[in-house]
Amino acid sequence: MEQMIDLVTQIIALAAVIIGTLFAIVGVLGYFRLPDVYTRLHATGKVGVFGVVLLLLAAVDLSLLGFGKGLVLIVLLMIFGPVASHAISAAAYRIGIPMKSAIRDDLAQASDR
Amino acid sequence: MMMTQILAMALQISLAVFIALIALCVWRVWRGENVIDRLIGADLIGTLILGALVLVALILRNSIYLDVGLVMAALGFISTVALAKYIVDQQMY
Amino acid sequence: MVSLRWLLLISVLYLALTADFSVGNLLVGVLLSFGLAWLVHPSKERVSWQSFPRRAWYFARYILLLVSDIILSGVGVARVVLTPSLPINPGIIAIPTHCKSDFAQALSAHALTVTPGEMVVAIGEDGTMYTHCLDATHGQEVILEAQRLRRELLEKIVE
Repeated sequence: MEQMIDLVTQIIALAAVIIGTLFAIVGVLGYFRLPDVYTRLHATGKVGVFGVVLLLLAAVDLSLLGFGKGLVLIVLLMIFGPVASHAISAAAYRIGIPMKSAIRDDLAQASDR
Repeated sequence: MMMTQILAMALQISLAVFIALIALCVWRVWRGENVIDRLIGADLIGTLILGALVLVALILRNSIYLDVGLVMAALGFISTVALAKYIVDQQMY
Repeated sequence: MVSLRWLLLISVLYLALTADFSVGNLLVGVLLSFGLAWLVHPSKERVSWQSFPRRAWYFARYILLLVSDIILSGVGVARVVLTPSLPINPGIIAIPTHCKSDFAQALSAHALTVTPGEMVVAIGEDGTMYTHCLDATHGQEVILEAQRLRRELLEKIVE
């Protein structure tokens, strides 16, 4: 029975590690492929929200590591990742980095007034 | 027994992948298009190093690396926000 | 006196980080967080403990809704990135908010930004959130529909 629980724990950890690594790869790939700054931020935000959080879930799940530390780090990433990407995008818009192939821009009309 | 070995191998491969991704991002920061692009790259490198630290903690079975990651995440966040503000205003405060 | 909310938050954080639930450590943690809460936020606001379980229930539902939204849109963005032709139609869309308090509006903007595919670029003076979307062909309606569910829960949490 105990071996059974051990096995299930390890399988969950394995799945979390593999999916997290795949999402990190997809995020970096998006950073290389997407055309401009704003769209790249969507891809890089995903590395923090998916990749590292899934690795931390694996660490919490194996539970020989600090349970509390992992949870605190997950909450920290979930709160601070979007704030950092908002700061970068606001800076990009204010120094006037153009959007490539944008189909609409409501903010430009609003600031023209 | 076999599952433990598979998990250890997956962790090693994952660590290698993360280090390769960090190398790619460093190259991209060096050859960036503009300043915001480089800032995104620096932020991404911080996140990837955090992931690599979590993997090291999982491989070595030592939770002290999670503390390092905690400090790393906090410092990376503050430096990203401060640099974004500096780029816009050309001054810190 | 210090605000109980901050005292509780800092003590829970201390206990989670030290992971040691002995009485001595608990005492040290409460004393430390008492001093910190007094330094950070010396206010006298009253917390109504009667509404606490109801708000915790709504908060749990909000977290579940947010996690499901994050997973769905994350898979969508991953599919967009992996498609060879890159089918994106980016654009900035103005989304009005009807939140009363500042805190609810901040949480609402956070919820929009944390889901991949949407990102708040700027917030206007009247509370309009200018959101950069990876797929702007649908216009406001899709986002407003998702936003309405979250906002109803948020209003009940913050009040």
